[in-house]
Amino acid sequence: MLKMTHLSKVYRTEVVETYALRDFNIDVKEGEFVAVTGPSGSGKTTFLTIAGLLETFTGGEYHLDGVEVSNLNDNARSKIRNEKIGFIFQAFNLIPDLNVFDNVEVPLRYRGMKAAERKQRIMDALERVGLASRAKHYPAELSGGQQQRVAIARALAGSPRLLLADEPTGNLDTQMARGVMELLEEIHREGATIVMVTHDPELAARAQRNVHIIDGQVVDLAEDPRFHHAQHTAHTGTPA
Amino acid sequence: MLQIKPILAALKRHKAGTILIALQIALTLAIVCNALFIIQQRVQRLSRPSGMNESNVLAITNRWVAVNDKDTASLTKTDVQALRQLPGVEDAMNTNSFPLRGGGWSTGVNLVPKENGKPAGQTTLYFVDEHALAVYGAQLIAGRNFTADEVIVADPKDIKSTPQVIVTKALADKLFPKGDALGKQMYLSGKDVPPSTIIGIVKQLQVPWSGIWANDFVENATLLPVQLTGSYGIYLIRAKPGQLAAVTKSAPEALLKTNRMRVISGERAIRTYEKVREDAYKNDRGMAILMGVICVILLAITAAGIVGLTSFWVGQRRKQIGVRRALGATKHDILSYFLTENLMIGIAGVVIGAGLAVGLNLWMVTQFEMARLSAVYVFAGVIALLLLGQAAVLAPAMRAAKVPPVEATRSV
Repeated sequence: MLKMTHLSKVYRTEVVETYALRDFNIDVKEGEFVAVTGPSGSGKTTFLTIAGLLETFTGGEYHLDGVEVSNLNDNARSKIRNEKIGFIFQAFNLIPDLNVFDNVEVPLRYRGMKAAERKQRIMDALERVGLASRAKHYPAELSGGQQQRVAIARALAGSPRLLLADEPTGNLDTQMARGVMELLEEIHREGATIVMVTHDPELAARAQRNVHIIDGQVVDLAEDPRFHHAQHTAHTGTPA
Repeated sequence: MLQIKPILAALKRHKAGTILIALQIALTLAIVCNALFIIQQRVQRLSRPSGMNESNVLAITNRWVAVNDKDTASLTKTDVQALRQLPGVEDAMNTNSFPLRGGGWSTGVNLVPKENGKPAGQTTLYFVDEHALAVYGAQLIAGRNFTADEVIVADPKDIKSTPQVIVTKALADKLFPKGDALGKQMYLSGKDVPPSTIIGIVKQLQVPWSGIWANDFVENATLLPVQLTGSYGIYLIRAKPGQLAAVTKSAPEALLKTNRMRVISGERAIRTYEKVREDAYKNDRGMAILMGVICVILLAITAAGIVGLTSFWVGQRRKQIGVRRALGATKHDILSYFLTENLMIGIAGVVIGAGLAVGLNLWMVTQFEMARLSAVYVFAGVIALLLLGQAAVLAPAMRAAKVPPVEATRSV
């Protein structure tokens, strides 16, 4: 479903090159629920933005659902984002001027779907996240957990092949986070492929597989000395 | 992709900006439509033909000083002969006025003797001699010119009419709609006025006035074969081609050489016909320019308002645009979103503006006797305002389209 091989992402300025991802390799199979963890600045979000075709990468290969995406133009990338990927953002990213129904409708409109089919999909998606009764409410009238559920409904309404979640519970309290996580697990059980970036080890543990990123590379936690060093530092509280 | 419903929903949440821009568009349309209509009317008047061959014509206003009124006829005759003999002069005459001069005589004209009451028509009176048609360069389309022996000498206070007159086609058609004016009699308004026989018809000669009030009889002119006595008169001179500048210098000198008991001075004493036309339409031209400047300023302010508001909205919605891009919107979708949004505000504005334009015109019709605004101006104004809106919104909309999808993941 999602395969990155020797992928790199370099941010260049006039004086310095910064590698956000370096020789990055990952292979997510269809139907997997993968949690991506790592310290701040490790490259988790960069990985997610490249995986979601929100950004381009500098080198290597990226196959999404069997398609090599490096040479696609902007329109083709938009089409893939719209049809194959569902995004769940930490800050929900609902459009404040639109009510719940219209927010969920946004990606479906860009697909050029007929009104009747749009309505059916929106109501199904809202039903699934338990917010059908709030269709006419505006985001500001909902709690954080409800807003994230609307964002999940928006991601699900287009029946994407891949769901990308960036700290989906990062802005929620424990109870709401639990509810959102249970929803994601339920969606996964129904066959969706989910890649979730998180800081929270408890949430990561509920995923099928964990991928850890340090300094822009996927590492094997058992073997990577940097992990042990990081653990040691965390335990002693003093830098090496 | 049509995005009308979500755009409407978004606009409802930004009422203040939306209403302000729509009202600005409405007011601009109302004012611009009427201003353009006024400009068109003024330009139409500016380009109205005088009926004369206007090139190579010079007008000199003469005022006799310390000369008995009874003697002016012979002095004028001497002047005219002197002018006609000048090298570079094709022909010359003395008259009381001429088209676009700015002042002259007008009176009622009837098919029967009539002292009071509404006349059948209104006409200006040009007192001229048999050289008039040549000096004017006017086209005689029926009948004949005056002969020298038909020209009489008369005091302005005593003259009521002449046995023969030449009229313009407009006046002839007004009095005799069947087109059989030639040889017919007409009466200038007044007590015991003898009839005048129409011996000739000229194609066109405008009245001396260029104001709106003269619109109803702007081409109604009557030529009477009269040499008026009195201290005041105008020499109208036709120079040979290319000789106007020389004649402008030599003619006043020749007149002063003939007799120095006269005043030829002041801004309007010696004027080429080009200057006469320029003076006659000075106000119209000024009004047209003023209206044009107002239109340009209003349109610029409206365009700036649209650019400003859209730029503000683009900046405010940067994150939202990134989210839309992340959810599958193409650059074209974003561009079209802002163009459609502007079009919808523009349509609301022009609908209100069209009503205001008609209302403003109706008010001016009642207050200033203006003509009714043609629907063409409203339609053209609507199209122009909508296009202006689309042009104004293009740059900020293109900036919006360039917002990358990764903007969705950035914290504000």
